[in-house]
Amino acid sequence: MASLITCPHCGVRPKEEFAIRGDASLIRPAPTASDEAWHDYVYVRANPRGRTLEHWHHVAGCRRFLVVERDTVTHEVYSAVDGVVAAREAQR
Amino acid sequence: MVRDYNNRHALDQKLRGTPKPVNADHLEVGHWQAIATVLAQVGLEAAVQRALSSTPELSLRYCGPGEWLVVSEVDTPIGLMRRLDMLCGTQAHVVDQSDGRVLMRLSGPCARRVLAKGVGVDLHPGAFALGGSTNVLCGHIAINLARTGEDIFELIVSRSFAESLFDDLMTMGRAFDLSAAFSD
Ligand SMILES: [Zn+2]
Repeated sequence: MASLITCPHCGVRPKEEFAIRGDASLIRPAPTASDEAWHDYVYVRANPRGRTLEHWHHVAGCRRFLVVERDTVTHEVYSAVDGVVAAREAQR
Repeated sequence: MVRDYNNRHALDQKLRGTPKPVNADHLEVGHWQAIATVLAQVGLEAAVQRALSSTPELSLRYCGPGEWLVVSEVDTPIGLMRRLDMLCGTQAHVVDQSDGRVLMRLSGPCARRVLAKGVGVDLHPGAFALGGSTNVLCGHIAINLARTGEDIFELIVSRSFAESLFDDLMTMGRAFDLSAAFSD
């Protein structure tokens, strides 16, 4: 487990200050999408080996949601950005 | 049944009674401290920070983007709320935390070594500058840590966690003969 996360607001912090809130790469289906699409979005998760995008909540720090890109094999952390920034980037 | 309402300090049971000698490393607990949280409206973070910084009596403690704990040494809780209302107006949400938080002041030559047992941030004077502040985990308790002097740190904690944090700090400080008392 990646043990040090560089929060864009708080600096380098141990993982104990965070709560992992799951896959950040999922895209919410349209309200009229099929039951299968919604079932997959709500329940079905991959267990990836390698690079993953996750929501990390800095519970004991700034209380912001971050999007953290890390490697589940090497424990390397590639980036940690504020959720608002990540959402803005994704819209572009 | 009629009960009298007693407004007691969260650490009253721990610190009441015979005064003990103050050692080199000391934990001082303010009896009544005016504290408020300020959360700026989205987009107005810089304006609110400017307004708050313009008043030297107020000490700002950084919590997150656009959010601060404001500590006043001179105001009563009601006075602080009135002052913040005038400074921020509708630009920020202000909530009185004077009874909701407890402020502890840790000072002494070994203050950093005491804190280092429970805190995951770099406390070196070069890394944690004078006047700096941040939310951080101390043991298992979320606190706001601020450096207010050369070897002085202020910890702000939720009232219901104050006793646990106090016990933790006294354990962390036992090796350095840490003493504790109310400030007045
Ligand atoms: Zn943070």
